[in-house]
Amino acid sequence: MSLKLLKQGLNGSKSLTPMWREQPIKDRYDVVIIGGGVHGLATAYYLAKNHGITDVAILEKRYIGRGGSGRNTTIVRSNYLTPEGILFYDESLKLYEDLSQDFDFNIMFSQRGHLTLAHTDASLRTMRWRAEVNQLQGVDSRVISPDEIKELVPFMDLSDHPRFPVMGALYHPPGGVVRHDAVVWGYAHGADKRGVHIHQLTEVTGIDVEQNKVVAVQTNRGRIKTGTVVNATAGWCTLIADMAGVKLPVETRPLQAAVSEPLKPFLDTVIVSGTLHFYLSQSDRGEIVTGASVDPYTSYSMDATLGFAEGLAGHILELFPSLGKVRLMRQWAGLCDMTPDYSPIMGFTPVEGFLVDVGWGTYGFKTGPVSGKRMAELIATNRTPDLIAPFKYDRFFEGRLVGEKGAASVGR
Amino acid sequence: MSTKTKDAINPESQIQNPKSKIQNRLSSHPSHKVDYTRPIEFEFNGKKYTAFEGDTVASALWAAGVRVLGRSFKYHRPRGPFALTSGDTNAMVRVGDEPNVRPSMKLVEPGMAVESQNVWPSLNADIMSLTSYGSRFMPVGFYYKAFFRPKALWPTYEKVIRNAAGLGYVTTDTPDTYYDKKYEFADVLVIGGGPAGMSAALSAAKTGARVMLLDENPYLGGHLAYERQSVDTKNGGAKAYELADQLAQQVLAHPNIQVELNTSVFDIGYHLWVGAVKEGWTNTDPDSIQNPKSKIQNPEARLLKIRAKSLVAANGAFEQPLVFENSDLPGVILGSAAQRLMHLYGATPGKRAVVLSANRDGLQVALDLLVAGVQVSVVIELRDQPDSDLVTVLESAGVPVKTDSIVTKAQGNKGVRGVFVSQAAKELPLSPGGIKAIRGTKEFVICDLLVTSVGWTPATGLLYQAKGRMDYDEQRAEFLPAHLPPKVHAAGRVAGAHSVKAELLEGEMAGLNAAADVGFGKGASKKLQNEVAKLKAAEPVRTSALTYIPGGKKSFVSFDEDVSIKDVRDSVAEGYKSMELLKRYSTLSMGPSQGKYENANTMALCAEANNQTIPETGTTTGRPPFTSVPLGALAGRHMEPVKYTPMHDWHIARGATMMNAGLWKRPEYYGDPAAEVVGTRNSLGIIDVGTLGKLRLYGKDVPKLLEMLYTNKWSKLAEGGVRYGVMCNEEGIVSDDGVTANLGGDEWYMTATTGGVTGLYQDIEWNLQSGWDFDVHAVNMTDDYAAMNLTGPNAREVLQPLTDIDLNNEAFPYMAARQGTVAGVPAILMRIGFTGELGYEMHVPAGYGLYLWETLMDAGETFNITPFGVEAQRIMRLEKGHFIVGQDTDALTNPFMAHLDWAVKLDKSDFLGKPSLVRIQKRGVEQKLVGYEMLDSNIVPEEANQIVVPNPDRPIGLETIGRVTSSRYSPTLEKSLGLCWLPVDQSEPGTEFTVRIRGELHQGKVVPIPFYDPDGKRLKS
Amino acid sequence: MILIDCPNCGERNVAEFRFGGEYNPRPQNPDDPASDAAWVDYLYLKENKLGVQKEWWYHRAGCGLWFLAERHTKSHAVEKTYFWEAAK
Repeated sequence: MSLKLLKQGLNGSKSLTPMWREQPIKDRYDVVIIGGGVHGLATAYYLAKNHGITDVAILEKRYIGRGGSGRNTTIVRSNYLTPEGILFYDESLKLYEDLSQDFDFNIMFSQRGHLTLAHTDASLRTMRWRAEVNQLQGVDSRVISPDEIKELVPFMDLSDHPRFPVMGALYHPPGGVVRHDAVVWGYAHGADKRGVHIHQLTEVTGIDVEQNKVVAVQTNRGRIKTGTVVNATAGWCTLIADMAGVKLPVETRPLQAAVSEPLKPFLDTVIVSGTLHFYLSQSDRGEIVTGASVDPYTSYSMDATLGFAEGLAGHILELFPSLGKVRLMRQWAGLCDMTPDYSPIMGFTPVEGFLVDVGWGTYGFKTGPVSGKRMAELIATNRTPDLIAPFKYDRFFEGRLVGEKGAASVGR
Repeated sequence: MSTKTKDAINPESQIQNPKSKIQNRLSSHPSHKVDYTRPIEFEFNGKKYTAFEGDTVASALWAAGVRVLGRSFKYHRPRGPFALTSGDTNAMVRVGDEPNVRPSMKLVEPGMAVESQNVWPSLNADIMSLTSYGSRFMPVGFYYKAFFRPKALWPTYEKVIRNAAGLGYVTTDTPDTYYDKKYEFADVLVIGGGPAGMSAALSAAKTGARVMLLDENPYLGGHLAYERQSVDTKNGGAKAYELADQLAQQVLAHPNIQVELNTSVFDIGYHLWVGAVKEGWTNTDPDSIQNPKSKIQNPEARLLKIRAKSLVAANGAFEQPLVFENSDLPGVILGSAAQRLMHLYGATPGKRAVVLSANRDGLQVALDLLVAGVQVSVVIELRDQPDSDLVTVLESAGVPVKTDSIVTKAQGNKGVRGVFVSQAAKELPLSPGGIKAIRGTKEFVICDLLVTSVGWTPATGLLYQAKGRMDYDEQRAEFLPAHLPPKVHAAGRVAGAHSVKAELLEGEMAGLNAAADVGFGKGASKKLQNEVAKLKAAEPVRTSALTYIPGGKKSFVSFDEDVSIKDVRDSVAEGYKSMELLKRYSTLSMGPSQGKYENANTMALCAEANNQTIPETGTTTGRPPFTSVPLGALAGRHMEPVKYTPMHDWHIARGATMMNAGLWKRPEYYGDPAAEVVGTRNSLGIIDVGTLGKLRLYGKDVPKLLEMLYTNKWSKLAEGGVRYGVMCNEEGIVSDDGVTANLGGDEWYMTATTGGVTGLYQDIEWNLQSGWDFDVHAVNMTDDYAAMNLTGPNAREVLQPLTDIDLNNEAFPYMAARQGTVAGVPAILMRIGFTGELGYEMHVPAGYGLYLWETLMDAGETFNITPFGVEAQRIMRLEKGHFIVGQDTDALTNPFMAHLDWAVKLDKSDFLGKPSLVRIQKRGVEQKLVGYEMLDSNIVPEEANQIVVPNPDRPIGLETIGRVTSSRYSPTLEKSLGLCWLPVDQSEPGTEFTVRIRGELHQGKVVPIPFYDPDGKRLKS
Repeated sequence: MILIDCPNCGERNVAEFRFGGEYNPRPQNPDDPASDAAWVDYLYLKENKLGVQKEWWYHRAGCGLWFLAERHTKSHAVEKTYFWEAAK
């Protein structure tokens, strides 16, 4: 038993202190971060922890972790396609491995292995492509046969009965799931402890730019002077960028997800099927946590739809036919900022002092730690770290798009 | 006892002799849904029990004296039904092979095997329940605070946590069940078959509207069905269940009303797209039952997808549980649950009851219990001045009514054995925990049943889904509809009407207004609207603001998740202050009921812990589904589409190994692919290419269209000519390729990739409909034409006798197209050569495909015609150096990278992607697609193997500089060859490179393509 | 399942349609080097409105019409739909 629990058990509620405090809002900060999700909170955390920059405010319209950070399906992996992508995601995964100890708060990172199924020889080829590049980058990733899959996932129908039988899979043992909310709370706690102000229910209503330079942000709680603003919002990043006069290559689409009622453990890995457009894992609570592709049209609505549930259930049962009587318990949606090359946009923009950490599509949660760490480094050094250079805003004007699109159709 | 009292206590009880009746069952009554003449045997945890037709698992077991059905999620506390509704999710059972079955919703069937869940080793001796004793060390969110040091031990801890959590289990051998779906349409959709819903349905139907009425129960009536008191309606004092029957008869008889029972609405989407699941439904469709592939067992659920024009939500309210110590003990039930047990199922709720009441309903329940022969020891009344008419009746029957009193704790091990009651000190105005025990007044009352009736929570979840806004009504302590979107109405308890009279009138009003929304009738009169408003305003104020009785540690707000009052307070103290954060941290409302019976209490507790009012705290949005739905019902029939070419059965008969090509099935090979290559190259082969995309283009401006679509030039392609072209998207990325033939007379024929044709056709249409002012008509013929390629040196000799087209090399040269007949079949022939041999690709109407194929097979017999599959074709195309879009190219490939400079004509005035290609050409390219061969011809790389150079800074000392995209052993050239990507400065023929194959390094070198017949002599001969 | 009002066929389930993205006409003289920024804007940058968006839809499982809709990107209220000619 942990000391913390022992103390709480013996002393009762008196020993409890808030994970983060409500601070009075100041009229100026060195750095203002818009968006209280994993990305924004991690940026603040590493600014304070790694660079000693603590005059930082997080402005969150509602409550922390209300956006994509609390709506994703908690999958973390680094078996991407391009060398630059892999390096980046792998640093994130490594950071995740140590976060519980860093935070003194269990984020329940369960490295239970991640399987991306191949149902066609084209996808098998893509899996091999990823495995080969992964191996060169030192990432544990390999293509396995249906026999090996059967051992890992006894519930999967590996016969030729499904419309698209499973031909193999990309197996990525260090991939897994994390308790997403815990990551949000852990970063918030760590940032608060180091002096960062977390302002919930604080909505940004405008960004003041003078001579192409950020000077302040307007909020529902007044004007805050600052020279550095980080747009770390997902879903609404276009609206924030509009305030600074920066147009983004981003389209917002809902991504839906669902959980079943809790079941005893029956699935020990994360399963992704690109062809059937679904992914699922079983949470520590026993729910099947599952999701699919983004909605087929743009929207800012976070409503889950019946059509999505129908399609998702159909695809799951195609591969897990014995789950027909399991009940879907809750559906929800989050907003994803889709970019043309399935890669984020990070760093400087044409407006001085207006930085972005946006365009995270469907994979923002996986990269919270590394994005925060490297955005903090960018802010502290005023130069773009090599690791995030491929994701700079200018790439669209220079014709240097990132090559993750090839694998993105089977991503998550 | 006065006459009036006798009447209230129901004369039936006077004539009953309980001893002569069935054990624990009351004598038959018209309100019962069970039929005592039809006993059913079933099993619970291996032991046999008797139920009656109409019983639910919960009612049958209750009547049999079984109260503990399962163990709770966290502390494995014994749990049983408390609501007798779908909300009994803390007592879910396994029925047959179905996990997590709601015991109060599942009707008993003969031979049914029911089991407890989440128990180990058994329901009665659950070892995990010991966790309850350590609960002080398992506070809310305990798992966040422990188990991560040392890091290496977390996986072990996790295993323990996972095994302890979860409820039901699944097995690999549970058969795939077959479910159906049904589309429905309604002018007015009414959700809920209680008084308000039935009234709404009837009034809407009378206007001529088509009405659909849904109810989750197997009967109509809602709360009337389980109530026996006389109700005050405009028809005068019928008993509640009698009124239910009268209304039900009218509803069922009305031709404009379609009633669906056992049907739960779980989703209301945009534009009133409503999802409902009908359970207990039996499929009688002979087609689906007899279909052996469907694996039908017993289809249990059917999804209804309803497009409603307007909607009335009349889905009632949840009776609100009061939270106090051990209020989760089996035997603590809601007042409505007691009424359901007695009046629907004839089950005796208990022997000695205590009733905890805070409203008229509670007193009525006490009376009902008395009538059923239950000894009511005492009524603990939270109010100071309860309804005097009912109190009088109770007292005259010898039941003490203690006002200003509370129950502080239920006592018992696996069921209630007694309760502690106290005099109450009230803090006014009543706050969530506004009634405290007065010291020294505590008493213990022995009982085996505690019935609580303290208030109702409107079931607004569906209205939230329909985008309604609810506001908190301080007086009633309820969130009530404040703003509903157009065509959405609410009536009855969900809208705060509690008297039957108000419910009926509000239903009528909502039904009329909903019908008027869609053009039927004029809507409710002002008079009716005023009357409803007046009735609702006159209703007594309820006390559901009370949430809990202070004191005690095991006071659970959530039975699903074992979250206590202390857990809520601790969570808020730790900073999880908003409802959403509180939910996420404490897991409140995250369980199978999704908080139906806990949300209102959670809100009140959250507000209190934050020192806020309930409206300040606010409610949370309900997420669909409103009730959980089987995945099978959502999935419906397994309908993954598949496309077959007309020759499919022939391929199968010939033993072909089939592969997926998009939605199509294609032969990958019939036998040895290398032999198929050799047979084709040496003599004659034939392949089914029917999966190719095929478009017919008509009109005088087709050349203009082609100029815009392809990167190369088309205006000079003469009649009878065929040309290859590449298409790009506006980014200058290769998007498709194929050939187009000029058939003459403004008719053209285009082929495209299997995967790309649908999008291509739609894009052509988009351009034609949005600014390309061309006289062109495009038709997608992909599924209408069969296609086959007869190829090999003997192709001409075999084909000529069958066709009226002159195949002479001068008359029909390479890259020409002709129309004519082949074996009497109208056909388009194109002389093109993906394989590198003389070949005729023939496109014929699909209905002739098999006939022509078989005719060609017969004709080719003398030349040992070889049918070949995709694999042989891949080898042959690779020997010719042809790339495949999507395999050798990817989402960033422009034509300059793929050796297609020759096909990009930037001097054309415009084409799709040209502006990008102009810029790309200026920038230059970094990588190129080239041909290679391996130095050791025995080494065949796997496609996607990486081309590497040493780099000591990289994890395994290698850095990737390119990759192999196509790789085969060429049986013709006896070499290992393929296509690969390399940096431009290493792409010249002769350059050697290193490729990593299964972890080993091998050498290859760049060679010119085509590898085979580089001058195309064979093609052109 | 939202309803889209096809100018030819009337209100149908959205499943019958393909979404074609926000209305974004191709710039004039795209080959002009001076239009580099305009071309990148056309290819990649989006208005991505929260509000009523003018956008393309294709009646895939119906009449085959490409048309424009003005749809609210949060409430999904489809304010109007019309042929391309009316958009100019």
